[in-house]
Amino acid sequence: MQENLKKIQNQALQEIDQCKDLKSLQDIEVKYLGRKSELTELMHKLKDLSPEEKKVIGPLSNEVKTYIIKKIETTRGALEAQEIEKQLNSELFDITAPGTKYDLGHIHPLSQIQYEVEKIFSDMGFAVMDGPEVESEYYNFEGLNIPGDHPARDMQDTFFVKDKMSDRHGRLVLRTHTSPVQVRTMEKYGAPLRVIVPGRVFRYEATDASHDTTFYQVEGLLIDKNISLAHLKGVMAEFLSRLFGKEVKVRFRPGYFPFVEPGIELDFSCLICNEKGCSVCKRTGWVEFMGAGMVHPNVLKSGGIDPKEYQGWAFGFGLTRLVMMRYGIDDIRLLQSGDLRFLQQF
Amino acid sequence: MKISLNWLRDFVEIPADTDPQQLAKLFTIHTAEVEGVESQGEAMNKIVVGQIQEIHPHPDADKLRVTKTSIGKETVQIVCGGSNLSEGMYVAVALPGSQVRWHGQGDLITLQETKIRGVESFGMICAGEEIGVDQPTGDPAIEGPNPILDLSALKPTPGTPLAQILGKDDTILTVDNKSLTHRPDLWGHYGIAREVAAITNKHFKAHKSEVTFPTTGTTPDVQVKEKKLCPRYMGVLIENIRIQPSPDWVKKRLHSAGYRSINNIVDATNYVMAEFGQPLHAFDSKKVNTGVIVRTAKKDEKITTLDGVERTLNKDTLVIADHEKPLAIAGIMGGANSEVDDQTTSILIEAANFQPSSIRKTSVKIGLRTEAVQRFEKSLDPHLAEQALHRVCEIILQVSPGATIAGPVTDVRNFKTKVNTITLDIKKLCSKIGKEIAPEEIARLLHTIQFGAEIKGKKIKVTVPTFRPLKDIEIEDDIVEEVARLHGYDNIEPKLPELPIKLPLENRERVQKHVLRRLMSLGLGFSEVYNYSFYSLKDIQKTLLPEELHEKIENFLSEDQTHLRVTLVTNMLKNVAHNLKNFDHFKIYEIGHTYQDLQEYFPIEEKKICGMIVKPKKEGTNVFYDAKGAVEAILGSLRIAGYEMRKGESLCTYAHPNKYSGYFLKKNGEELAKVFEVHPLVLKNFDLEKVSIGCFEINFTRLMQSADRSDMKYKPLPKFPGTTFDISVLVDTKTEVGTLQKAIATTDKQLIKTVELFDIYQGSNIPEGKKSLAFKVVIRADDRTLTEAEMKPVHEKIFASLKNLGGEIRA
Repeated sequence: MQENLKKIQNQALQEIDQCKDLKSLQDIEVKYLGRKSELTELMHKLKDLSPEEKKVIGPLSNEVKTYIIKKIETTRGALEAQEIEKQLNSELFDITAPGTKYDLGHIHPLSQIQYEVEKIFSDMGFAVMDGPEVESEYYNFEGLNIPGDHPARDMQDTFFVKDKMSDRHGRLVLRTHTSPVQVRTMEKYGAPLRVIVPGRVFRYEATDASHDTTFYQVEGLLIDKNISLAHLKGVMAEFLSRLFGKEVKVRFRPGYFPFVEPGIELDFSCLICNEKGCSVCKRTGWVEFMGAGMVHPNVLKSGGIDPKEYQGWAFGFGLTRLVMMRYGIDDIRLLQSGDLRFLQQF
Repeated sequence: MKISLNWLRDFVEIPADTDPQQLAKLFTIHTAEVEGVESQGEAMNKIVVGQIQEIHPHPDADKLRVTKTSIGKETVQIVCGGSNLSEGMYVAVALPGSQVRWHGQGDLITLQETKIRGVESFGMICAGEEIGVDQPTGDPAIEGPNPILDLSALKPTPGTPLAQILGKDDTILTVDNKSLTHRPDLWGHYGIAREVAAITNKHFKAHKSEVTFPTTGTTPDVQVKEKKLCPRYMGVLIENIRIQPSPDWVKKRLHSAGYRSINNIVDATNYVMAEFGQPLHAFDSKKVNTGVIVRTAKKDEKITTLDGVERTLNKDTLVIADHEKPLAIAGIMGGANSEVDDQTTSILIEAANFQPSSIRKTSVKIGLRTEAVQRFEKSLDPHLAEQALHRVCEIILQVSPGATIAGPVTDVRNFKTKVNTITLDIKKLCSKIGKEIAPEEIARLLHTIQFGAEIKGKKIKVTVPTFRPLKDIEIEDDIVEEVARLHGYDNIEPKLPELPIKLPLENRERVQKHVLRRLMSLGLGFSEVYNYSFYSLKDIQKTLLPEELHEKIENFLSEDQTHLRVTLVTNMLKNVAHNLKNFDHFKIYEIGHTYQDLQEYFPIEEKKICGMIVKPKKEGTNVFYDAKGAVEAILGSLRIAGYEMRKGESLCTYAHPNKYSGYFLKKNGEELAKVFEVHPLVLKNFDLEKVSIGCFEINFTRLMQSADRSDMKYKPLPKFPGTTFDISVLVDTKTEVGTLQKAIATTDKQLIKTVELFDIYQGSNIPEGKKSLAFKVVIRADDRTLTEAEMKPVHEKIFASLKNLGGEIRA
């Protein structure tokens, strides 16, 4: 019997080794391990053997069985892997066909940049404030040191609301800048103050590719003790560098706005040419960015803050312009067109 | 404003090797923005003097001629169409490579060597307008459509650059007028030169008049009735005037400053305005009856101004009049009735000062903004009138030989010379600039712009010169500006403020707005649009809105933008119409302000969110529910609590009357949102009949101010399994899903966890007037696994309650 078992094992091994596919392996499994197989039958006969024989043949037959099972499993694993590989190799697949479409919407580019601006200033401890878009002449002009006959009113062509007049407030206007919120915020919160105000503003101005009646500005205001122009330079350089993701320098030059004194215009170093001069910066190396200055004592007084005790600066820049610069948009009117062909690009 | 570098040189040394670009940059950084620098010679690069040697007819063209023209070292062939050519004539030759303006129109083009009708032509013989040059003085006007510039009178040498013989050696700086709004002293070359001297560290050469006035003789009679409106009025009579063209040096200067030359007298007044910034006026004194009266106009008084327009004046308008008629609108424009003309032999020169705000108001009212207005409205120094009057007399005596000053100057002064002194706190100044600047340096800087500065301990006593008006320099901060700009803003090092770490004031609305955008766009798939705050009366009518709720724009720019929006819906419907050209399914939203006129001064201004789901009509049966789902997703994600939905209550003209619901706060009934399908009539009005639009409007202001937010609390996961069972019920079509859902849910509040509708069906197999609804119900106990025996009664109770509502259980 012993020999018989050995023979079975060898025969099985040989057949398994030669086996080329899963189907014949299955047949081999049945042939050697099935109920009617020689090995099974042999094992059935164990009970007829003498105890001594049993001691030898019993374990041996189990050993043979286990050995064959293991061998079959290993071979099956190998054959299965071969089969999958064969199948994979024969499969055609076009990876260039389009991916499944997910219906994502789009956030308006103005909202996206506004968010970035708010985030950066917010990280520097500035609160984000709001104010009404329909504003009184008082807050839009007088409160900002721009009396009725001031030539500076020409700089800001104004839309007036019909038949609205108040003794205290004057006529009702569409705010021409976000600056009215300076006074409103000072009245509400007093000093010290660290705020920015992004918002929609209006100008009575003929429309073309670079002018629109409606655009967005960001106002900034920092009031404390000992706040200086040097700080304005520092904060704006920090802001612009973060916004553009590279180091940006800022430059001041004199500018005139009745609500600040000294008044300055702030330029930043051209990002395209690094101050060498190119068409974007009109060969000056600098890009005009915003008006700013130290808050005029009259404005602090309008807001109920004592100019002897507190000082600070304010600025206002065009968010719309920033968006147009960032994305190379050449027609401002696209921003308010509601055209999905435009909006879906963002 | 155009500033000539050569003119500046009368008052300040500008070395010949100065780079005008550098000077412009310096001026921009310290004083005011220079927008452009233009070298006159550069524009005439490669244009030289030529002399015509021979003229031959063109073989192929009647109107063209072929010339041999000497351009110095060589003689070249040039084809020319000018009718006034003659042999020996000196002309301007534009060589290949030069830039000319074809027939004086269009853009500059660069000349090339070319063939004209088969004949070679080396450059071009130019007409004056083609290269921007006037016919030199002394030559008779030449007839013809494109007269060739005749330089013969100048007897030039062929080959000489044209710029050189015309004396075009100047550089013109264009200064941005807006940046001079507060600086009346910079509205002429004299003031600009003063600044240039300060910023380049050069000596300023003040002008000293050499004119002397007789102590006796005829003097103008001046009565100033409005003393406040006219702080100073000076006048002088000049006789034996001969009106003629100005000499070249005057013309050249005026031309470089952008003025047209008219005649020697008018030019002299303009010359002084361009120099000192003081507007002057010359009246023909023979046309002035007796004397001058400065008064306000009589009601409906009329005057024809120099521009030929008849203007009706009102009682606020200040006029210069004689004893019978108005002669000029003070400080704005002269009248035709006293204009200097070719016959004029004696003139009255006016050098006056008028109140800025009155000039400005009148100018705005009559819609006339002149060079004079631009200067007077900025508070000119009354002392300047005197300086300018002396200067203009000096020039008139030169440009009108034989002219004599008839008598002493009349000077009516209604102002006081007050010395403006300001005490400057040095420490405060440094703290505002953000840099330590030594007191001596501060004083030195102030001296460069002719301010007095006397150091007194920690303060400096600053004396302001009269040419800087109170509107410009009034308080300490104005001095800070002078010091800062002269010291140089570039010399201020950027610094970050040392401020306490403090959380900024919270603005939840702002934060939520950005969160919402992400949800709307990146979650729910809507695209964000921005629209104008205005629309038209027609739009209001199309949306069926009442006009009286709207604020109207007084000075609207177009008929499309006359009213302020009370809803975002209107403009968004226009967006829908626009986008339907390219898309058939889309979702858009806008976050923006609306303004409602409730007859108070300020309108009710609120932030709204409006969303629209657009589908072709045949696929659009569910758009209401699409919008409803979106609103509920938004309210859910903001964790808004304590609201309920019911039929829409507030007037909403553009909503489909049956497909309209509102979301209300339970605590006070305030409406937070509306969900609706757009009214078919409104769709029709906007040409949107082919689509269905599901819409929602959320009152974001109210949502942020009034609504409570639910706390987020963790709930343990169920420990025991639940079972799901489906019920299909046949009900009357009138029966609402909400009623049935509520009925099911309330039969056993303990065990019934959720009730969801998963199918509505009407059609074949369903009787007329009925609909089949299918619900999925989850039943679960928190503390045990439910047995069949426990569940059965729950099922039966549900069946019973549905039957109660007229339902027929189908499965």
